[in-house]
Amino acid sequence: MGKLDGKVAIVTGAASGIGPAYAQGLAAEGAKVMIADIEPSEATVKAIRAAGGVAESRRCDVSDERQVAALIRDTEAAFGGLHILVNNAAVFARYVAVPLDQISAEDWERAFAVNVRGSFLCVKAALPIMRRQRYGKIVNIASGTVFKGVPMMLHYVSTKGAIIAMTRSMANELGRDGIRVNAIAPGLTSTEYLKGRNDIPGVLEAMAKTRAIGRQEDPQDLVGACVFFCSPDSDFITGQTLVVDGGGVMH
Amino acid sequence: MGRLDGKVAIVTGAAQGIGAYYARGLAAEGAWVAIADIEPADRVVAEVKKAGGEAMSEICDVSDGAAVARFVGAVDEAYGGVDILVNNASLARMDRTPVEELSAAEWDRYFAVNVRGMVECVKAVLPIMRRKQYGKIINITSGTVWNGPPNMLHYVSTKGAILGMTRALSTELGKDGIRVNAIAPGLTSTDYIKGKNNYADYLAAIANTRSIQREEVPEDLVGACIFFASPDSDFVTGQCLVVDGGAIKH
Repeated sequence: MGKLDGKVAIVTGAASGIGPAYAQGLAAEGAKVMIADIEPSEATVKAIRAAGGVAESRRCDVSDERQVAALIRDTEAAFGGLHILVNNAAVFARYVAVPLDQISAEDWERAFAVNVRGSFLCVKAALPIMRRQRYGKIVNIASGTVFKGVPMMLHYVSTKGAIIAMTRSMANELGRDGIRVNAIAPGLTSTEYLKGRNDIPGVLEAMAKTRAIGRQEDPQDLVGACVFFCSPDSDFITGQTLVVDGGGVMH
Repeated sequence: MGRLDGKVAIVTGAAQGIGAYYARGLAAEGAWVAIADIEPADRVVAEVKKAGGEAMSEICDVSDGAAVARFVGAVDEAYGGVDILVNNASLARMDRTPVEELSAAEWDRYFAVNVRGMVECVKAVLPIMRRKQYGKIINITSGTVWNGPPNMLHYVSTKGAILGMTRALSTELGKDGIRVNAIAPGLTSTDYIKGKNNYADYLAAIANTRSIQREEVPEDLVGACIFFASPDSDFVTGQCLVVDGGAIKH
């Protein structure tokens, strides 16, 4: 018996990075999971099914309103509802340091299109279904960089700040429909991708030393918070941002 | 199979109010629960046992370091450890007092119970948690730290101190595997609050300030307490989660 039995969840950006951990975590608690990513997500789907869970995937660019509409339609058709939306898809989460005077307007707009407009479009499209159910759980993924004001990634940090503001405003606007909106702010996480990068030696280890719990953050460390914000255990919590980073940032 | 099977939890101030709900909630997830309160908690212990759980209680004033040490020693002896500490005991009389009428004695009493009481409890459980290199400490602060309601300066100030303490403890105890987080409830419809004159209007007015526009009930807080007590939050420390239906956005 899982905490999310009978629930349907969409996790965006779950082909790689932290997303697969969220998707597998929700599926392990009984949710049927639709994975949306611009990249193929078969590996994540396969892992969920191998563990006895239910999952589907769609290719979807969350910054494209028509693709998002199709994603929501397909999810409802496949699973008969939509209770949980984890807005995890994001670009420039890849830890490339760029001085702000070298960020092009195009890169700036791409970051906002995916990270911010993408989250907005997914919520907008999910709303009619969640309103019909008078229940919904939206989890936005912010970032510890907002609190630290990490330099050399201004576009990324700014989108994540917008997501915290969005989380609060959405909470107020959607509360009367029984829709809860919260955010998770991860620290720098040792994804397969970052572990494979040889141009940032020592970065993950150095980050570990800044934490109250002095070790690297693994994708698995974030799953509990995601499940919590998706489950009825958090039904009177909305508009909040929980930092999950081993105590690097205190919020 | 509960999320806290095999764990031992101390909940202070759990003879009544929200504390009793924390105690029953942790017990329902499998934790053995020990209650410290200045009032007898026999009713809550009986309820836990009736539901198939395990609980004990002792009369204990958390501001009395020797009493806390005795209590924690008794829990360790009876249950063989302490994994979870919910620092919930608190003076929270909702009688409004303007700052100029707040006596130094009353101020000191609030800080003795609400703030130093937590430190006494943390100090007493530390050697036990260090033994296992694992522990979960949950401090109960308050949404009032954010909206600063008037005429309860002593109470609000203690809750602000708890926020600072949560952060400082998390960095000091992280290397021992001890996580320290805080929950900030909104004004909750406990029996005490419901019994106060004029509070019906006040509770309704507060409900209107929330994203989820209803009264907060003690049950609303249990999920967050279990989350911070369970391994699901093992990489979360030094944080404060506001549980108030979205009146405050933190």
